[in-house]
Amino acid sequence: MLRLNQVVKHFAQPDGDVTVLSGASFHLPAGRSAALLGESGSGKSTLLHLVAGLDTPDAGELVIDGHSSLSMSAGDWNRLRRDRLSLIFQQYHLVPTLTVLDNLQLQARLSQRLDPAFRDHLIDRLGLADLTRRLPHQLSGGQQQRVAIARALLHRPALVLADEPTGNLDEATSERVMGVLVELVRETGSSLLMVTHSAHMASFLDEQWRLQHGQLHQQHDQYNGEPAL
Amino acid sequence: MTGTLTRLLRVLITLLSHHRRHPLQTLFLLTGLVTGVALWSAVQVINAHARASYAEADQVLGAQASHWVRSGSGEGVSVDDYVNLRRQGWRSVFPILEQRLTTADQSVINLIATDLLALPDEEAGTATGLPAGGWMQLVTPPHEAWYPETLAQQLGLEDGDRLTLNSGKALPPARVFSREQQGLRVFMDIGAALTLLDRSHLSYLVVAELPGDAAARLSRDLAALNPDLRLVANQQRLDLTELTQSLHTQLAAMSLLSFAVGLFIVFNAVRFSLSARRHTLTTLRELGVSQRLLLGAIALETLVMSIIGTLGGLGLGYGLSQLLLPSVAATLQNLYGAVLDYTLLVQPVTVLQAWLLTSAGLVLALAWPLWRQAQRSLQDQRDEPSQWQQDQRARRRLALGSLVLALLALGLYFQLNSIAMGFTVLALILFAGAGLLPWTVALILRGLQRALPASAWRLNWACGEGLAQLGTLRTALMALLLALTANFGVDSLVDSFRTSLSDWLQQRLAADLFVQSDTLDIDALLANPGDWLVESHRRNGLTVRWENRPTQIRGLNTDTSDTRALPLAAETDRSSAWFDGDPDVVLANEQARYLAGIELGETVQIPVGQQTVAFEVVGFYHDYGNPAYQFYLPYQRVAELWPNAGEQGLGLWLNDHDDALARAEAALVAAGARPGDWTRREDVLAISLRVFDRTFAMTAAINALTFTVAGIALLASLLAIHQQRLPSYAHWRSMGVSNREWLLIAGLPLGIGLLVTWLLSIPLGTLLAGLLIYDLNVLSFGWTMPLIWQFEPARSLFWLTLLVAGFTFAISAVQARLKLPQALKHLGEDAA
Repeated sequence: MLRLNQVVKHFAQPDGDVTVLSGASFHLPAGRSAALLGESGSGKSTLLHLVAGLDTPDAGELVIDGHSSLSMSAGDWNRLRRDRLSLIFQQYHLVPTLTVLDNLQLQARLSQRLDPAFRDHLIDRLGLADLTRRLPHQLSGGQQQRVAIARALLHRPALVLADEPTGNLDEATSERVMGVLVELVRETGSSLLMVTHSAHMASFLDEQWRLQHGQLHQQHDQYNGEPAL
Repeated sequence: MTGTLTRLLRVLITLLSHHRRHPLQTLFLLTGLVTGVALWSAVQVINAHARASYAEADQVLGAQASHWVRSGSGEGVSVDDYVNLRRQGWRSVFPILEQRLTTADQSVINLIATDLLALPDEEAGTATGLPAGGWMQLVTPPHEAWYPETLAQQLGLEDGDRLTLNSGKALPPARVFSREQQGLRVFMDIGAALTLLDRSHLSYLVVAELPGDAAARLSRDLAALNPDLRLVANQQRLDLTELTQSLHTQLAAMSLLSFAVGLFIVFNAVRFSLSARRHTLTTLRELGVSQRLLLGAIALETLVMSIIGTLGGLGLGYGLSQLLLPSVAATLQNLYGAVLDYTLLVQPVTVLQAWLLTSAGLVLALAWPLWRQAQRSLQDQRDEPSQWQQDQRARRRLALGSLVLALLALGLYFQLNSIAMGFTVLALILFAGAGLLPWTVALILRGLQRALPASAWRLNWACGEGLAQLGTLRTALMALLLALTANFGVDSLVDSFRTSLSDWLQQRLAADLFVQSDTLDIDALLANPGDWLVESHRRNGLTVRWENRPTQIRGLNTDTSDTRALPLAAETDRSSAWFDGDPDVVLANEQARYLAGIELGETVQIPVGQQTVAFEVVGFYHDYGNPAYQFYLPYQRVAELWPNAGEQGLGLWLNDHDDALARAEAALVAAGARPGDWTRREDVLAISLRVFDRTFAMTAAINALTFTVAGIALLASLLAIHQQRLPSYAHWRSMGVSNREWLLIAGLPLGIGLLVTWLLSIPLGTLLAGLLIYDLNVLSFGWTMPLIWQFEPARSLFWLTLLVAGFTFAISAVQARLKLPQALKHLGEDAA
């Protein structure tokens, strides 16, 4: 589903270039989920943005759902994001003047992949049934993030990219949101790559990877030395 | 004390750091201030200049004269003719020589010279400011040239210096006076000036007073002495300050509207910056800065901004005033015969007023919101409702405020009795309309959202986006509404006036030829005219003083076709008596009705010599553009009561033969008229309408500038919106929204907002035009006309708005597009 081959990324800073990725490689098979851990400023979000085509690598190749970054135009990236990817952020990014229902249908409508039965299923699974006619400011943070998750999954993307999706939520709400996100991703057969700084949130996913000094290293279970499941 | 000052400066520097970090916001804040102040101050400078010109005009030689003697050919009055007139006993006549001269260093000066010995004592006193005999050095060799202090400073002259002209000749020794009796002109003895300039002709003669039938006798004497000489009534003798008051009030009101539109840009810039500055203010308070210290720093920031805004605005305003002055001068000349010179000075009081106005605007738009923000408790700030909820509340408050303003306007309207009150009502209506606009747009957007079918989800999204944008867009839309309403209202007024004037002229100028001649023997012409003449209308008249204003008495032939067709604005059932030649009834112009307050059926006392004669008012007629009161009486009645009444022109109807005009012209010449004394009907009409268009050129210029300021407000808003919405746009892009979809969703709300604004401006503009025509015009000028509503100005404004909006949207869209990659990289970061 997702492959990174020797990806390099620098940032120009006043005191010289900073290398955030120095030939990072990574493979995420279809249907698997992985957490991306690392210190603040280690380049986790940059990597996620590269995968989503929101930023471009200085060297190396990304292959997403069979499409190579080396041969993709801006239009191709746009179509890929619309039809095959979805992004979930800490800030939810709901349109404040659209109802919950309109918000969660937004990307599915853009990609013309709105399945009403699956929509109702998601609404039910995410506990949004009583909230569909409300506006975002009438919801709690956890409810808003659940709407963002429903929006991200409704068009059945091949790959879900999540950047600290529970960063704005308290611990109990974070666990509930995380649980339902992982369950639904598995249910839809999508892959999930999630940036987080929380080892606990990372433990919900199949794999944990750490970005350190521009390289990706898979984390192993701290008790038996095997890669965590 | 020093510690407090240091802390205050530190807090001020922290507050001002916002401007360094957000130069675009600061640029728009200052742009709003500067353009608003510029338009206001431009009009103030012109108004102050006009008032100074009127005051100066009163002091210039001959300004108070009743008549002038001028040459028809333009070559001036010969010294011999002047001497002959004096010898014939015309002691109230004195000579004037005026000439523009170029000095050796290419400066241009105006010279005025007279014969002080020929002047009546009071005129000599006005001219020199000295008691009789105090000016002997002026009239005796080597003579003197008197300079007002300002001019002497400009030319670098001191007492005793001799100014050299580019001809090589030198003016007599200078004497500098602190009083500026003759404006910025050099004053000399006429004998010395004629010799120095090698001239044999005077510019014109001034006639101090002409009692009784003296004007008619002087005309006859002039014709006998030299047929080229004419006696011209002094139009400037009108009380210019009083007559032009309403025009200056109107200009001031229009400039205040421009200032208000400029303030909307300031509001917009401040509102946009408020969320960023809120954090600074909170942090400062958390760090222990007292509210008093914060208030002091905010006041200082406001002071700094007001000084920059005032200086920038005055600088730009001065430039604008020079551009507008020719239009204003044309208006004053056309309406009132007042002459303005084209040299402008910014007076200290204008600078002070500009600063006070700017400060007041800034306190309202900048200091007050900042102070309110600083006053809120930290808990309040944490519990703050979302931006969207705040916008919604602001819209509701604005709509409620509008309702209050509208009710106030209604209440004031029923007590309307002054121009200032009229403009207050207009301002209340305009701002009520503007305040209602965001609520109306929101209502329409929400209505559309409800009405749209599920399949139109993109449109639904665009409407939602419109509601999100409205918080920032609203000030620009309100500013645009003010500009559109003012433009549509004033355009409707001008169109109505032009149509009414044109119809009125068509009726009033029914004859084929109009003759105005000092030398024509009308009796001889009409005694045996030949078959080229179908009908003639001879008028006589004079100006008297009635109700403290110049009042024209006009004698008309009541049998002619144009008089018979005279439409009356109001009449009693006795009006037919006037047409039957009843000597005791009179028709009055609307100015006498509305400004002097006379009513139908009332008896007016008109001065005749030392007596007054009573007339019953049986009708009122339209008399557009006349600043004076006027009464129509039968020709014979005027001739009986005022034997010295002069001929006021002759209208001639020609038959339809091809040679009628040529034969008429030949007959006129044979009866003593000179070429140029008659004008054809089409030419009079064309000249009148040209004068009209020149008169309203200035109104159009101010409106166009107000529209430009509104355009800047729109650009500022759109840039702010796209800056604010950039994280959302980046997220849309992350969902795969295409450029076309983005254009639709981000651009459609602007289109809907503009459409609603334009639609609302039509009824508001019509209301404005109605108030201007039916109330303010009557209060200001004393005449009425019907409001002629046309769609054309609205259509033009629609296309203009579309053009401005398209242009500003394109700029802001390009700006957003350029910033999008950066915003995409920051997706996921905390928006704060």
